[in-house]
Amino acid sequence: MKKKSNIKLHDIIPFAAFVVIFVFFTIASYNPRRGTFLMLSPNNLLSVLEQTMQTIIVASGTLFVVAQGSTDMSVGVNLALSGVVGVWTGYATGLHFLIIPVTLLVGTLIGLFNGFVVAKLKIPSFMLTIALLIGIRGLVNYIQTKTGVQALPDSLAFLKSSPVKIALFAVILIIMAYMFEFTKIGRYSRAIGENENTARYVGVPITKMKVIAFALSGLMAGMGGVFSLAYVGATSQQMGVFLEMRVITAILLGGVLVTGGTSAKFYKILLGSFSIQIIINGLALMNKSDSYISQSVQGILLLIILALTAWSGTRNLRSGKDQEEVSSKTESKEA
Amino acid sequence: MSDYILEIHGLNKHFGPTYANRNVDFTLKKGEIRGLIGENGSGKSTLLSQIAGIYPPDTGEMLVNGKPYKPKDVLDAYDNHISMVLQELGVVGNLPVSVNVFFGRTAQFKKFRVLNKKAINKAATEQFEKWGIPMPPLNEYVGTMQIESRKMIELCRAMSIEPEILLLDEVTQSLSLNNREMLYNLLKRQKEMGKSAIVITHDVEEMIEICDTITVLRDGAVVGNVVSAETTADEVKSMMVGRQIEGDYYRTDKEVSYKDEVVLSVKDLNVDGELEDITFDVHAGEILGFCGLSDSGIHAVGQAVYGLSKVKSGDIYLVPNDLHIKTPMQSLANNVGYVPKDRDSDAMMIDASIRENFSLPSMTELQGPIGFISPGSMKKLSNRMVEQLSVKCEGIMRPVNSLSGGNKQKINLGRWLAKDLKLFILDCPTRGVDVGVKAYIYSLMKEAKNNGIAMILISDELTEVLGMADRLMVMKDGRITKTIRRDEDFTEQAVIEVMI
Repeated sequence: MKKKSNIKLHDIIPFAAFVVIFVFFTIASYNPRRGTFLMLSPNNLLSVLEQTMQTIIVASGTLFVVAQGSTDMSVGVNLALSGVVGVWTGYATGLHFLIIPVTLLVGTLIGLFNGFVVAKLKIPSFMLTIALLIGIRGLVNYIQTKTGVQALPDSLAFLKSSPVKIALFAVILIIMAYMFEFTKIGRYSRAIGENENTARYVGVPITKMKVIAFALSGLMAGMGGVFSLAYVGATSQQMGVFLEMRVITAILLGGVLVTGGTSAKFYKILLGSFSIQIIINGLALMNKSDSYISQSVQGILLLIILALTAWSGTRNLRSGKDQEEVSSKTESKEA
Repeated sequence: MSDYILEIHGLNKHFGPTYANRNVDFTLKKGEIRGLIGENGSGKSTLLSQIAGIYPPDTGEMLVNGKPYKPKDVLDAYDNHISMVLQELGVVGNLPVSVNVFFGRTAQFKKFRVLNKKAINKAATEQFEKWGIPMPPLNEYVGTMQIESRKMIELCRAMSIEPEILLLDEVTQSLSLNNREMLYNLLKRQKEMGKSAIVITHDVEEMIEICDTITVLRDGAVVGNVVSAETTADEVKSMMVGRQIEGDYYRTDKEVSYKDEVVLSVKDLNVDGELEDITFDVHAGEILGFCGLSDSGIHAVGQAVYGLSKVKSGDIYLVPNDLHIKTPMQSLANNVGYVPKDRDSDAMMIDASIRENFSLPSMTELQGPIGFISPGSMKKLSNRMVEQLSVKCEGIMRPVNSLSGGNKQKINLGRWLAKDLKLFILDCPTRGVDVGVKAYIYSLMKEAKNNGIAMILISDELTEVLGMADRLMVMKDGRITKTIRRDEDFTEQAVIEVMI
C-alpha cells in the first residue's frame, strides 16, 4: 500500500502567506538612498520581535480556548485591567514587588470567571467575553481617570531591557508549547474541539478542562500586561485596545480553524503573529503608517489570507470524501 | 409498457482511480422488493445514490418505465417517484420535524414566503399516519433527537412522495424490533400496491426474509442474482466474500461460563424517565446481554453504568477497584471501557487522525514524567493496534473519516482493548459493519471473555445477544422483566414473549 503524504494544503497556506508577506514588504522597504532593505536592519527586526512578543504570549493562552472550539474576546481588556490594577496595587501599598504577581493574579481571576460561566452555566463563550470586553473597558477607563498615567517604578525598570524580555519570553513560550503539545491538557483540549460528545463519552473532564483553558488564557493576558508595561513603560487607556482581534486573527491566520480541534498547533500562533506584525511594520516602513490606510490594508490582506485558508479547508474535505471510497475499495479487495 | 420499472445498463462510476461501480446491469420489476448485499465498500450505496440522483453515473444508462432517466438532483428523482433513505443521517438538525419531512418542497405551504406552520404540521401528521410510521413531536428540532426518530422522519419523507421505487440504505440497523416490524409491513404494502423497493442491509437472514430477490455485489460489480425462496444465508455470504464462510460466527457452546468473581454490582438503579430499579451483577469473563424494544432503556443502562447519566438513586459498584461509579472520569481511570451506539457522533473524532482516536482513552497510561505524552508513544500504541486489528489504512495520520465503517468500528473497539480493562460496555458493537468485521468483533469478544474481562453487551439484534451472551436481561419500560440463562430456554421466542 502506498504511503500518502500527510501535509495538507491547508497547513501550507499560512507558511506561504508568511513568506510572501515577508518577501513583499522586504522588497518594498528598499531605500535607494542608503541602498539597504529597511526591513532587514537589525534594529527593525528587533522591534518586530518585541512587538510580536505580546501577541504571541497572549495567544499562547487563548490557543487552549480556541482548540476547544470556544473563543476568548476578553484578553485585551483583561490585559489592561490586570496591568492597571497591578501597578496601582504596587503604588498604593508601596510594595513594588507586588506588581507582577497581582497583574498575573487579576488576569487569572478573570479567566477563571470566564471558565466557570462557560463550563457550568453553558453560556456561549463569544457572548460572555464580548460582554466583558465592553464592561471591563469601562472599568479600566474609570480607574485610569482616577489614577492618571502610572509609570512603571524604577525597581522594575530592568524589565525594559531587551535581553530580559526575550529571555522571559523564551521561557514562557517553552512552557506553554510543552503544555499544549505534550500534556493531557493540550490533548484533551483538542479532543473537546474535535467532538465534545466524544470527549464526554470517553471520560474527558470537560468542565475542568474548560476552566483550565480560560484560566490559562487569563493568566497569559496578565503576562501580556507585564510585557505591555515593559514595552510602554506606563499604564494608559490605550493598553490592550484591539489586542483580542490581533490575537484571534493571529491564531486563525496561522491556520487554526475556528472549530479548534487537531487543527490547533502551537507553531501556528508564531506564524500568524509574525505575519500580522510584518504587515503592520512593513506598511510603517513604506511610510503608509497613516492609520486609516494601514488598517484598511491590514483588513484586506487578512481577508485574502483567511479566504485562501478557508478555501483550502473545504478542498481538503472534498478530497477526504474521495479518499473514503478509495480506502473502502482497497479494503474490500483485500478481504 | 415494459414489466420493468427500472433498468440499468452498463453503469460505471469511479472515484479517483478506483471503480465504485463496474459495468452494472440491473433490472427491477414492478412490485418487486430487491435486496442489495455486499461487503463494506462493494459499491451498494454508490449504486443507490446514483438511482436517487445524488450523483450521476460516469457511463451507462438508466431507464425508468422504459424511458431514459437522468436525474439532475434528488428533487428530480422525486419527480420520477424515486426516493431514498440514506445510511448516514440525511436530516437537517436545526429544522423542526415537519419541515424536514417536506424538505425542499415547502413552497406549497408558503404564503407570501411565510411558512404556514399549521398546514405543514397537518400534512406531516397525515403522512406519518398514512404510512403507520411512529410520529416524533412535530415542532421539535431534529438535532436533539435520537437516531431512531431521525430515521422515522427520513422514512416519512421518502414515503410522502408515494415512491414507485423506495431505496433503503441500511435503515434497519438503527431501528429497534418494533420499528423494524413497522418497516417490514411498509415494504409489504409497497409490494401490494405494485410498487418496488431496493433494500440494503448487512443482515443476510433479514434480507432473505423481507426481499423477493437478492443482488450480490463485490468490488463494484454484480456477481449474481438469487431468488430468496431458493437460497440460504450461507450461500449468499459466500457469494459476498467470494469464498466459503463458516455458518456460525457466534458462540457454539450452550453453557454459562464465567468466574465467581463479581466485577460490577448494580443495585436499585434509578434514572429519571429512563431506568427503574435496575439490579444486576456482572462476573469476570461473563458476557451479560441486554435486549428490549426502543424505549426499554437498554441503551440507558450502558450510559448509566459508565457514569454518564444523572442517577437519582442506587449504586453502581466496581468491585475490584472498590469504586462507586459516579462520573465517566472515574470509569476512564478505573479499567472500564464504553463503546456508545452512535459511532460517528458519540465515539469518534472523525476529522482527527487515526492516531489521535486510538490514543484518546489511554492518555493517562501514555504519560511519562512531568505529564509528558510523547508523540512517539502515541504512534507506537496506534501502530501496534492497527497491526493487531488489521485496520486497513494508509498510515496512522490519516483522518478517521477516510476509513470504511468496519475499520472505524475496529478503532472504536480497539482503542479500549489497548487498555487493561476489567469491564467493557458494548452498545451495538456491530452496527453497520459487514459480515467479515462482525465475525472479527465476535472473536475479539470471545478472546476478552477468556481473558476474564466482564462485558455488558447491549444490542438491538436479538440473534447477536442470543449468540454471544451468558445471561440475557430482557428489558421493558425501563425495568428488567426477565433474566434468561444460556443453558435454559435461550431462544428468540422465549425472549420476544417477555419483551413485547
